[in-house]
Amino acid sequence: MGHLARVLEEAGLATVVIGTNAFRDRLAAMRLPRTVITRHPMGRPLGAPNDRETQRKVILAALELLESARQSGVIVDLPGSYHPLSHQDV
Amino acid sequence: MTDKPTNESFEEFKNSFSYGSRSDMNFKFLKNLSDEDASGFFRELLWKLGDAIDGGNFERVAEHIFQTQALAYVGPGRFTYDTGPFTPVTKPFSELRLALFTSSGHFVEGDDPKPFGVENLTQQEAEARINDFLKEEPQLSVIPLDTPEDKLRVRHGGYDVRGARADPNVNFPITRLKELQREGHLSQLHSLAYSFVGACAQLRLLNHTAPAWARLLKEQQIEAVLLVPV
Repeated sequence: MGHLARVLEEAGLATVVIGTNAFRDRLAAMRLPRTVITRHPMGRPLGAPNDRETQRKVILAALELLESARQSGVIVDLPGSYHPLSHQDV
Repeated sequence: MTDKPTNESFEEFKNSFSYGSRSDMNFKFLKNLSDEDASGFFRELLWKLGDAIDGGNFERVAEHIFQTQALAYVGPGRFTYDTGPFTPVTKPFSELRLALFTSSGHFVEGDDPKPFGVENLTQQEAEARINDFLKEEPQLSVIPLDTPEDKLRVRHGGYDVRGARADPNVNFPITRLKELQREGHLSQLHSLAYSFVGACAQLRLLNHTAPAWARLLKEQQIEAVLLVPV
């Protein structure tokens, strides 16, 4: 995905990547234009299933970074941990 | 009886979670750990599970797993660059023609990308053929944003897809994006989303596939792309 971000950006498309903490070093090494890092597990970068609030916050943080970044290689580390919702919460 | 070796070493045990006899995408990272770190992981995991039996708090169990996962993947990967491209954004994000593009392996029911010409390849088969996927050029699935969630399918031999099956928005957030659109945060959201299996031939992706996808998005007048890797 890092390569896709670089190629799209070179083609004139602005990109933002939402990645998990596990891959932070790998994504940083690829000098991507804009990256948001979440403290969520592999495969669930936006948050736990049905955790709508967290998923929404992550997307908005990524959209805000699209607008605010002034140079390549910006990484925003989002706070917050993974909250699997119990059946009662859903 | 299985044909597992009777005198299996700890290293063999640890490695078996990565596409071996105990293949488990959530725990394939164990292969990247030293024996010492892996044994420490199991000891702490069992201790925290013991806590959770009484306290019911499995978040600490999950946190322990994610922290160890991060430890296992620490450091740069195969590709490093000193500089990066940059396209400035000159208007509010709410006005951007935005498209969702993920490497989560989603597609619409009835529109199977048929890797290796096989229709309805199962998740288990995809994991078993991970090395074949890594040699192949990725196929793009185009997914209309108004696709009902229960018509979405996901298959990817590189990660545990159970979270994405429970709720596609964990890595393919079409419902969340449509909500933001309804609320007025995204006035120009593209009506199509895109997904592929990120476990693919990386140099083919870089040199051939990605430039073709860039042209496709430009033809659709897309200005910005929300990328979600898994």
